Amino acid sequence: GACRVSMSMTEIRAGFTAIKANIQSRDPIRTLSILSHPHSLHKVKSSDRCCITYQLFTFYVDKVFKHCRTEDSFVNRKISSIANSFLSTRRKLGQCHEQNNCMCGEESTEKLKQILANYEGLNVTSAAMKSLGELDILLDWMEKSR
Amino acid sequence: DALLPAPQSISILSTNMKHFLTWSPVIVQGETVRYSVEFQGEYEREYANGSWIPISECSLTTATICNLTEDISASVAYKLRVRAELGATRSQWGTTKGFFNRAMTSLTPPQLRAVADGHHLLVELADMGPSFQFRVLYWRKGQETRVQQKVLREVSSVVHLDTMEAGAEYCVKAQTHVQAINRSSSFSPTQCVRAQGDKSMWLV
Repeated sequence: GACRVSMSMTEIRAGFTAIKANIQSRDPIRTLSILSHPHSLHKVKSSDRCCITYQLFTFYVDKVFKHCRTEDSFVNRKISSIANSFLSTRRKLGQCHEQNNCMCGEESTEKLKQILANYEGLNVTSAAMKSLGELDILLDWMEKSR
Repeated sequence: DALLPAPQSISILSTNMKHFLTWSPVIVQGETVRYSVEFQGEYEREYANGSWIPISECSLTTATICNLTEDISASVAYKLRVRAELGATRSQWGTTKGFFNRAMTSLTPPQLRAVADGHHLLVELADMGPSFQFRVLYWRKGQETRVQQKVLREVSSVVHLDTMEAGAEYCVKAQTHVQAINRSSSFSPTQCVRAQGDKSMWLV
């Protein structure tokens, strides 16, 4: 069955847009991508979309946000807003997962392995900041594949 | 620090997705006491070692109210805390009892004005911010079983609802809906207006 989850994309997008330049300026290695290397998210099959979304939200909640604390109070507040929105949305996606409406195929499992390998290939702060800076890649992909 | 008492009567006022923290002032004769506020979302509690995040607009403020709306922007459980500061002296933190989730906000009916512009039935709705949609119901008086509905995702000041029959009376009411928390307000009071009578003259 389908997995339909209502989420405040507008709020997350607004929060990210407010800090995007600041976050991306902290990422010196612009030639490398965590989410898009070697293949873009857009290549993911529609049947794998729910699983990839759930796993990516888990990736951000478990691994990324906690390593993105900055000296800038405004940036920290926006990161908190995004992190708590991700947590709330991941919980809803988790319900789909439990009801078997969010199956993980071979391709999505492979794609996630690649993302984790890209992430672990950098030191944790650089990897976290780069991943946060690539949030628009994830949001664009989610909006296109709605 | 124990000399300066922690703020008391800490509470959150939340109406129509606008959230405010308030507390009682700490009185020290002849002195100006200042306050600092911090928040903690579910993410901070469960994934960031229970860290707290300061709200800069409410750091070292003399006010006893703080606007939380920008920071409470996810549908999770939040905690808030405030402390008093006088020079280098700081009180203990006063923390909200229980948690606050924005889904608990109270939603009031929208302010609307029904307008008969000749044969046109219009409605004016007060803008309530980006989180709000409006569900407008309208019907011809006496035909309550044939109610029509219009859902407005963005509010322009005046909305055209219908073309009315000459001299007939039409009624309107509306409620708000907030998708982020999936809740609606109660309906506004019903307002009825009469369409302009027919002015056409028949020459016999």
